[in-house]
Amino acid sequence: MTPQSPASPPIQKAGATAAEAAAEIPKRNAASRVLLHFRKFGAFYIMMAPTIVFLIVNNYIPMIGSLIAFKNIKFAYGETLVQSFLRSEWVGFENFEFLFRTTDSWIITRNTVLYNAVFIFLNTVIGIAFAIMFNAMRNRLLAKFHQTMMFLPFFLSMVIVSYLVYAFLQPELGLLNRVILPFFGIDNTTDWYSDPTWWPVILPIINTWKNIGYYAVIYLAAIIGIDKEYYEAAMIDGASRWRQIRVITIPLIRPVIIVMVMLQIGRIFYSDFGLFFQVTRNSGALYETTLVIDTYVYQSFIGAGDIGMSSAAGLYQAAVGFVLVLLANWVIRRISRNDALF
Amino acid sequence: MNMRGKPRQFFLWPLAALLVISMVLSACGGKEGGEGTTSSQAPSTSSAAPSGTSESGSETSNLPPYELTIYFPGTPPKDEKLVEEKINEYLVPKINATLDIRMIDWGQYDNKMNLSVSSREPMDIIFTASWNGHATNVAKGAYLALNDPNGPHGNLLEKYGQDILKAHDPEFLKGAQIKGLNYGVPALKETAEQGGILFRKDIADELGLTERIFAAKTPADLIPILEEVKQKRPDLIPLHLKQGETFNAHYFAKYDFMGDNEVEGTVLKDGTEAVVKPSIEHPRYLETLRVTREMYQKGLINKDAATSQLSPQDALRKGNVFMIVSPLKPGKDAEMVANSSLVGKVVQHGMTTITTSTGEATGSMLAISSTSKDPARAMMFINLLFSDKYLNNLINFGIEGIHFTRNGDIISRTDQSANYSIGATWMLGNQFLNYIWDSEAPDKWEQFKNFNQGAHYSPAFGFTFDIEPVKSQVSVLKNIYKEYVPGLETGTLDLAKADEFFAKLKANGLDEVIQEKQRQLDEFLASKK
Amino acid sequence: MSQFQAAVRRRADIPAVQRISGPANTAINIFFAIYTLLCVFPLVVVLIASFTDERTILVEGYSLMPEVWSLEAYRFLLKDWWAVVDSYVVSIVVTVVGTVVGLAMMSMYAYPISRQDFPFRNVFAFFLFFTILFNGGLVPFYLVYTQGLHLQNTLAVLILPLLVNGFFVLLIRTFFANTIPKELFESAKIDGAGEWRIFTQIVLPLSLPALATVGLFTTLNYWNDWFLSLLFINDTDAPVTIQFRMYKTLLDIQYLSANASAYSAILAANPNFTIPGETARMAMAVVGIGPIIFAYPFFQRYFVHGLTVGAIKG
Repeated sequence: MTPQSPASPPIQKAGATAAEAAAEIPKRNAASRVLLHFRKFGAFYIMMAPTIVFLIVNNYIPMIGSLIAFKNIKFAYGETLVQSFLRSEWVGFENFEFLFRTTDSWIITRNTVLYNAVFIFLNTVIGIAFAIMFNAMRNRLLAKFHQTMMFLPFFLSMVIVSYLVYAFLQPELGLLNRVILPFFGIDNTTDWYSDPTWWPVILPIINTWKNIGYYAVIYLAAIIGIDKEYYEAAMIDGASRWRQIRVITIPLIRPVIIVMVMLQIGRIFYSDFGLFFQVTRNSGALYETTLVIDTYVYQSFIGAGDIGMSSAAGLYQAAVGFVLVLLANWVIRRISRNDALF
Repeated sequence: MNMRGKPRQFFLWPLAALLVISMVLSACGGKEGGEGTTSSQAPSTSSAAPSGTSESGSETSNLPPYELTIYFPGTPPKDEKLVEEKINEYLVPKINATLDIRMIDWGQYDNKMNLSVSSREPMDIIFTASWNGHATNVAKGAYLALNDPNGPHGNLLEKYGQDILKAHDPEFLKGAQIKGLNYGVPALKETAEQGGILFRKDIADELGLTERIFAAKTPADLIPILEEVKQKRPDLIPLHLKQGETFNAHYFAKYDFMGDNEVEGTVLKDGTEAVVKPSIEHPRYLETLRVTREMYQKGLINKDAATSQLSPQDALRKGNVFMIVSPLKPGKDAEMVANSSLVGKVVQHGMTTITTSTGEATGSMLAISSTSKDPARAMMFINLLFSDKYLNNLINFGIEGIHFTRNGDIISRTDQSANYSIGATWMLGNQFLNYIWDSEAPDKWEQFKNFNQGAHYSPAFGFTFDIEPVKSQVSVLKNIYKEYVPGLETGTLDLAKADEFFAKLKANGLDEVIQEKQRQLDEFLASKK
Repeated sequence: MSQFQAAVRRRADIPAVQRISGPANTAINIFFAIYTLLCVFPLVVVLIASFTDERTILVEGYSLMPEVWSLEAYRFLLKDWWAVVDSYVVSIVVTVVGTVVGLAMMSMYAYPISRQDFPFRNVFAFFLFFTILFNGGLVPFYLVYTQGLHLQNTLAVLILPLLVNGFFVLLIRTFFANTIPKELFESAKIDGAGEWRIFTQIVLPLSLPALATVGLFTTLNYWNDWFLSLLFINDTDAPVTIQFRMYKTLLDIQYLSANASAYSAILAANPNFTIPGETARMAMAVVGIGPIIFAYPFFQRYFVHGLTVGAIKG
């Protein structure tokens, strides 16, 4: 301990010495405060170090590349991309134009957002429902078996899924038109791939079927983490099973739900390319309800990859998602501070 | 209950893993680093221009050694290394260069090429085509100008490509130019194109329809024939169409898109006017739509035509298809069904004028990357593909005795043929040098020559549209195109949609694109005079 | 530390308090029986299709009892069986190493940002989160790994980019923050434990469900990846994952279906150009799935209650 400076406060009341002595410490210079911080949290920094390095190299350095969106790159200007980049001209938002000057820009935005909203809703509700049911099943072995099976669709690539869907929805030979609907007495010859009306139903079904394993497992892990003492107390209070779910299970996994929903909101402008491109067989007649930003952008670049424009598209999607998450995070902070993402 | 043992494991795992990884990485990294490197780590030579050795074919082994990389699409064959060795044996004494064949699967070609071009990786020879972004790549500066006397490497074509210049019709070479400069060497193959149909002669004979088919001149003439097929053979699909392979396809209805076939604004290849119009404004477009629609409604076309991914070839080979639409050249019918159960059963019938447009000149070219460290050597190699029969066939068909057996110019398969079957003859230089498979017509090249001559040149021949000034509009229009065209041209959508389609195009910048195309075309034609 | 180790008891399964009624249980069982059928059925169709004769599929479509069986698809696929085995090995190595290292890195980052008393936790959380949303595009990413780190054609490049997934880190953080009571930390510190010990001896054991979840997803991520192989592996000798080997053909098909004029031009020039048929694609799907089906059961045994807090409270 370094000696007090002569100008320190004179006499202190006896009883207050300890507290006031402790209060003296923050008055020391910044350097020692930093030192203290690292003594206390040094281990944390070491733990985070590998990931920090990783994020910088893998994510932040390439991020500089998003500036490409604002330039019109001519490769002839330099021997390396960096040189070409530095010597090409700035063009402001010109590369973003193709996203907005189309009469379709409303449709693609609407489709993207609405589908994702539906997906988020289904993933959450059905995911939690499945998790609760799994947790409640009496036969543990059966539960594990079903959990494994639920994952199977996840392993099929969307291309294969598109073949299966086609086998199902084919106008003449498909299972739906030939077998299932007649079974219910409906004689239907709709060409599913020419009629945009039903795809807002078809696509969420497929998306949920494929991905629900993912979400169910996350929520299941969350539920398992709940301390059983809560349930014991509730039983003693005579609460019904339903009540227990409403009052204990769901509130206690709320942080997980919030994180999951927020992260999905951040991706709200992105779509599963395979789902919207492969499964729909990219049928133009369906565009009204199936064209989304990602497929729109992909299509614009066939045969000629304009790096500036594709960069612009990516930036646009990221920016919107970012703003929305910030908004959502701000709202959550007002409600329950600790659950916020940051 | 003692947890002491377990937590340590948690700690040890990461450490052990790190150890393992570092060992694995150093092992693998070392191995890979030594062998194949992506970017050709060739000694950087300034473009060698040995004085007095401008003729190809002369032994120039006083050149420093160099590794040439050549990129083209296709599935890498099993015996690639074997054939490369043989090639290098031959090549080194000639131009002191070795060849590294880099084939990239079709599905990844665009992606990987874009990446490589964007990151300025050193590459030498690249396959390019008008339908594969050639014009855009040129605008980006990805390729070297090959005949620019003022360029950094001089007029490469004249210096090292004499055989190319001898082999090609100078008009044809000019047809592949962009703003007066060649950025790729066109392959020498069929230079003309005819639209027509391919059909099952065996079934037609059975039904007595063959004569009538050969007499058909327009798609409308085919309707009664197809109806009869449907009636008498209900198990067959009378006509199989898919997007791009319909009666309104560019090769059948003769629309010259002057570049990307999905960017609106066309002149007629078999006409003489150089007026750019949206396809829909050519009378034949709507007429063809009407005919196709009638066919669809009569059940003569496969129901999934708008979204079918089945190529006409594969459709024919399925066995239950009677007729397909196809671009034709001499011997197309034999080529189509070679190695299948339909040999001899399929016959072609041309139904249009034979034309030559920029598309033929630019449909397959070899460019030299602007990142090449020795463009002169690259040009020398391309030149060899035009003059050296042995080399050209070696790279195309593999090693004689292993991958094929030969009798004069006719070759036959061996059981190892499949190990080197790259299907790239049309990308690699002078096809007229190629051997001919025993299943094809022996006078194939004669037939080609005749076919090429006397073709009608499109009024826009030699012009390629640069989309740069209107690239946003073009991107937008591409999506609209995809929304309507497959359905309309296969007869799946009703004709009323055509008006909708046109209106939407107009609302999204069609006029600007047309105007720009016309402007560029006029400029080009003026410069030719 | 012993009182905590005593307090941390592994518990398997649901305690009796949560038993549900008989009828409810039956209903749930029936529901899942149906749902499982819906999940398994398509896979069975794919499996059978891969063993069906190509012609039969084209003419009659998929069925559970095809008229003509055939091994042709697998013969085609496994022509180069050594390459297939090689890719399997690559996939397994990449997956195992990547999961272990990735899990370690991610949980080590998640821990500090889950601690309420760490003043900069939000800064680092944001630092991470930002990367989930924004990226600089494919080309800069490509450049970093090729011209920056020179890792093309190596095994490392198939592992590194997927090591840390911000999504998962935040998930782990949420688990850490919400299932481990603060009192544990305080008591541990009073006992003189440093952060490392707390992390490895308290936090990790108590978070098994979370770690197992992220471990599972990371495993799946690695196993399903074909993109890295596509981007960075150019030499035919270099390692590629099994998914990529299988998916290559499907990519061809996707490209050709999107690019009609290219397809047309290729066909015009090369009439012999064909792409593998449906049965081959089905076989590819089957081969690509392989052992990963066992991933879930493997991780599942860690889905256990990792804690009783009883001894800590009160």
